[in-house]
Amino acid sequence: MKKMSYFKKKGDSYIIFTATGLILSLAMVVLIMTIILVKGLGFFWPSDLVQVKLQDGKAYLGEQWAESTKHEFDTDGNRITHEEIQFKIGNRDLYGLDFIWLSRNEIEKMEKPKNAFSFERLGYGNFYGFIKSLNIGDKQFNYLDEQSNNAVEAAHDKAVKNRHEIKELENDINKLNTPLVNLQREISLLQLKENKTPEEQNELEKLQKEEQAVTDKINPEYQKLSKKLESIYLENQNIFLNLLTADNREKKLLLADVVRIYRPNDFNVLEKSWIYVKKFYEFVADEPRESNTEGGVFPAIFGTVMMVLLMSIAVVPFGILAAIYLNEYAKQGAIIRMIRLSVNNLAGVPSIVYGIFGLGFFVYALGGTIDQLFFSSTLPEPTFGTGGILWASLTLALLTLPVVIVATEEGILAVPRANKEGALALGSTRWQMVRKIVLPNAMPGILTGLILAISRGAGEVAPLMITGVVKLAPSLPLDASFPFLHLDRKFMHLGFHIYDVGFQSPNVEAAKPMVYTTALLLIVIVVLLNILAIYIRNRLRKKYKTSVF
Amino acid sequence: MSISTNEQFRKKVDRANKTARIIISFGGYGVIISIIFILLFLMYQSLPLSFSVSIKEMLSFSYDKPDKRIIAIGLDQYQEVYYVLNDKGYVEFYRLSDKVLLLRDSVGLNKDEKILSISKGDYLKDRFAVGTNSGRIIQAEIRMLPEYGKQDRTIVPHFKVKDIYQAEIPTDSIPAHIEELVFRQNDDYDFYVWINHAQELMLRITDDYDEYRKDLTEFLGESKLTKLEMDYNAEKLIAGTISGELFWFDISDPEEVYLKDNWKVSDTPVSSLAFLIGSNTIIIGNTDGQVTGYFPTRTLDNVFRFMPVYSFDTHAAAVEQIYISPRNRTFLTIDSHGKAHLNYSTTNQTQIEFKPFDNTVQAGAIAPKSDGIILIDSKNQIGHYKLEDEHPEATLQTLFGKVWYEGYEKPEFVWQSTGGSDEFEPKFSLIPLIFGTLKGTLYAMLFSIPLALLAAIYVSQFSPKWLSSVIKPTVEIMAALPSVVIGFLAGLYFSPIFEENLMAIFLVSIVVPVVSLFGIMGWRLVPEVQRMRMPLGWELILTFALFIISVWLSFSLADTIENLFFAGNIKQWLYDAWNINYDQRNSLVVGFALGFAVIPIIFTISEDALSNVPDSLTSASLALGASRWQTVYRVVIPAAAGGIFAAVMLGLGRAIGETMIVLMATGNTPILDLSPFNGFRAMSACIAVEIPEAPVGGTLYRILFLTAFLLFIFTFLINSIAARISDKLRKKYARF
Repeated sequence: MKKMSYFKKKGDSYIIFTATGLILSLAMVVLIMTIILVKGLGFFWPSDLVQVKLQDGKAYLGEQWAESTKHEFDTDGNRITHEEIQFKIGNRDLYGLDFIWLSRNEIEKMEKPKNAFSFERLGYGNFYGFIKSLNIGDKQFNYLDEQSNNAVEAAHDKAVKNRHEIKELENDINKLNTPLVNLQREISLLQLKENKTPEEQNELEKLQKEEQAVTDKINPEYQKLSKKLESIYLENQNIFLNLLTADNREKKLLLADVVRIYRPNDFNVLEKSWIYVKKFYEFVADEPRESNTEGGVFPAIFGTVMMVLLMSIAVVPFGILAAIYLNEYAKQGAIIRMIRLSVNNLAGVPSIVYGIFGLGFFVYALGGTIDQLFFSSTLPEPTFGTGGILWASLTLALLTLPVVIVATEEGILAVPRANKEGALALGSTRWQMVRKIVLPNAMPGILTGLILAISRGAGEVAPLMITGVVKLAPSLPLDASFPFLHLDRKFMHLGFHIYDVGFQSPNVEAAKPMVYTTALLLIVIVVLLNILAIYIRNRLRKKYKTSVF
Repeated sequence: MSISTNEQFRKKVDRANKTARIIISFGGYGVIISIIFILLFLMYQSLPLSFSVSIKEMLSFSYDKPDKRIIAIGLDQYQEVYYVLNDKGYVEFYRLSDKVLLLRDSVGLNKDEKILSISKGDYLKDRFAVGTNSGRIIQAEIRMLPEYGKQDRTIVPHFKVKDIYQAEIPTDSIPAHIEELVFRQNDDYDFYVWINHAQELMLRITDDYDEYRKDLTEFLGESKLTKLEMDYNAEKLIAGTISGELFWFDISDPEEVYLKDNWKVSDTPVSSLAFLIGSNTIIIGNTDGQVTGYFPTRTLDNVFRFMPVYSFDTHAAAVEQIYISPRNRTFLTIDSHGKAHLNYSTTNQTQIEFKPFDNTVQAGAIAPKSDGIILIDSKNQIGHYKLEDEHPEATLQTLFGKVWYEGYEKPEFVWQSTGGSDEFEPKFSLIPLIFGTLKGTLYAMLFSIPLALLAAIYVSQFSPKWLSSVIKPTVEIMAALPSVVIGFLAGLYFSPIFEENLMAIFLVSIVVPVVSLFGIMGWRLVPEVQRMRMPLGWELILTFALFIISVWLSFSLADTIENLFFAGNIKQWLYDAWNINYDQRNSLVVGFALGFAVIPIIFTISEDALSNVPDSLTSASLALGASRWQTVYRVVIPAAAGGIFAAVMLGLGRAIGETMIVLMATGNTPILDLSPFNGFRAMSACIAVEIPEAPVGGTLYRILFLTAFLLFIFTFLINSIAARISDKLRKKYARF
């Protein structure tokens, strides 16, 4: 008894208890990271195609996705356990569904046929099936063996090349037509006007003449291009595959609509890895397809980077000024206490409050005024009076201001007092001292602040979704058309992409893997930025320590 | 030369110094300005909610034909044109600005025929019907539609007689008066109900093919009728009597019209009746000046009855007229002295009283957009008023109190901001949102505080150095995880897993502490000498093993226990035994996810506080023979209490404001239920979801700004309290 109370008093056991808290917290981090890593990285791996034959004669071909055990009760109240397997069977245009749950009991046979193909298409998701024959022009080749694979590949390359060429030709034709279209718009504007003055009448005639001249000038080129376009288009219409599904349905597939063809069951690890790499590249560098559930996230990456850059431009100078004021200019007293209180509270204000402030102030008040002053011709269609990258960036700049201030302050505090006083003693003004001594030495701190702000900005979603982020932006905020940087445009964002695709997509099940990958990408960006910030800060601290002694 | 260069240089330096000082000071003050500006802006946007109603007289002029008795008057939606209809059946449209006659037409009455009664068919449609003293009911159409020119807009009036019906046939001895009339139109039928000279209540329902005519007098007994009213869907016919009794006829099926209910409102005669938009609430005015509102709700015996829900300020004289707003639940009551009250039904308030004229009011109307009133008195004096009442549905009572909304069985806190039709009444109680925020915060804190504090104590006091140098950056990275990722995982990954393994999750929360306890007991058996020899960090290895064992144990036992005690399905059992519904996205999941987001904050700050306790204190304690735990418990934790408290407060602040996690991991249903198995709607998520759809300057927009303002204040208070208390406690322990 005495021993027990002694044990209790000493309380070593409680230490175990505190360790449990740590273990649980760490376990959660590890768990979440593992889930994201496994799910996010696994998405691109070309998984094997399984052909399933059911007892009732139905057959499917698809990727095995998940298994689950379900408990149910039969009519007598007995518990039955049955296992189900989820397959991604693709072929949305034929089946209507991408996914199917099959009970193990119904399955008669499962096999992995070597010649099963997986087609990634531009529309309708994946197609899983077998090739019956290949059509090129009016010739038809039956699918026989390895040789045929090469022929299919060659035909696919050709079709894809043609597709790119068609796009280029269309661009060329558009470019060719631009002056003409501009003229025509001016003419129609003038024609619409009633009670034309004589000058306007003259102008109209002049424009019409010009239009004729331009048409004559570009016509031969135009004819040439459109003929070429037509011929390539026709050629592509005649490069197609005749496919068979697992249940022997036929399907014609234009090769130009196919992104990628592969036979996962026949591929070795190296070949699969190559496809993995290609898919990953597509994910990072391509546009999204199929309402964001396939393709890449390039516009979202680009939008995130642009927004973060604009935000940094706004927040860093402001943050540095505030930090310098706090440490080098302000006298200890009420003002400095108020500023510190403000910084603390700015850091504590929920991000959605910044969002609604940004919407009310930047978008409606500021943007609305700008529209009325400079863009009144396009009203009521808003230019700046609606969410856009500029407003989103400014909102986030406010949100990240405390981060920059606090980190910069830390940097400034690390500058040895002796250096500063030395500079002042040598007769420099305060500003000279700040510029030559404080700022250069506080650089690591400023950099830390910048990086932390960027990481915060990249991960924040709530304020963005009401100040200018959209699920699918028609064009990037930076492009080749004047004035190149379009501050009024809406943009895409990785974080919002996760929310939108995961929760508002019409086909959540098919979109999920994409979301995991996007989440992984976002986490990698944020974590790398943070590690960088921690590294810089640690160096700063070391420097600070050495300068004390 | 050199002097002047020197001079110039000096000037330049001075100038630069001064400019820099100004700019830098501006940067410093900018922070204060920003936060004050944000606060003021949020206030400024939400303030118009509390602005009171105002009625401003725009015009007052006399209609130039004083001998005519006006029985109806109305305005177009832009308040540019008004019409008057007199008892001789002439209708005239005038422009308000210059009183120019735009159109004059007639209902087409015979000689000596006069209009006795009128009924507007609907509050938005433009049909009306009049009953005359020769037994005819004439249906006509008044339209004032805008036509757009290049620059301007003109209101073009139309008038057309649509239908004439000889309702009562006069004989030489008996006149055929239509004393009271109510006319409605729905997609199928035209409805006419009237009281004739013989005090008979007649009903006629007609379409192109059929006609139903019915005498309803038999249902009324001895009661003498005074007023008639029908809802705008033409389902409920209400007749008021001289004894203050009301009769409710169900006329939704023309072939089977029956008396559904009757009830007594007052002892005085009913002098006016009007349904508000939404076709449910009826406003009843009596001769003693009482104004009450009733709508049908399900009573205890499971029957729908009209219940007295609203009562408004009493008039000094009989309530003669009620004019309803076509936009919202505003209505105007006017008594026989000519005094007018402007009421709003949902808030149960009489907002304004005014006396437009010296004489009694003859006719009136509220403008289609509910932004104006036009009235005419018995001397044919017309008054046009501007009504400024943008947010009548938002008062302190509706925002924070229980409100008895139309169709509800009792007063409740309801948030339901948008509905399908124009008649939908938005319900703006902030209580469910505030409750949701607090509920989410509560579960998050329940989960995160113990874990974070225990971890902080361990890392700061017991762990080996190398371990803390690994853990601190890990936690910092945990803090940097975007909340959208956590929310997404919680909503799409964890919530189905939780649902499927509910039993195992329950078991884990019981088994982990139990197993640790056993572990501790077992550890006690090891001789102390041996124990002391173990290297730092041994606890981790032990607890890790225990943890794995308990998780494994829970998952393997779950099935058996569920079968044994919970009839094989704990969700079903919860529902059967406790009537608890399990939603997939529920507060448990949110608590877990939000807790995960909050742990790093609490951990980092409290760990800092614990580490910063001076070594002199701990060394002294250890030297005096206290054990490690005793030192921590008696010395370190009290010394760091301020920092720990601040950590918890800051975590609280973060949990209150977090948006994406609660948005994605809850069902976002605004309910008041503390059960951990269903969701909630938090203030932050509500703002994020609803502000993109809210019309700028509308009530919802302003209420969402008010919500943001409240969030701001909440977090501001929490942060300030945290800062103050941690300051205080820091000073207290600073002497060591």
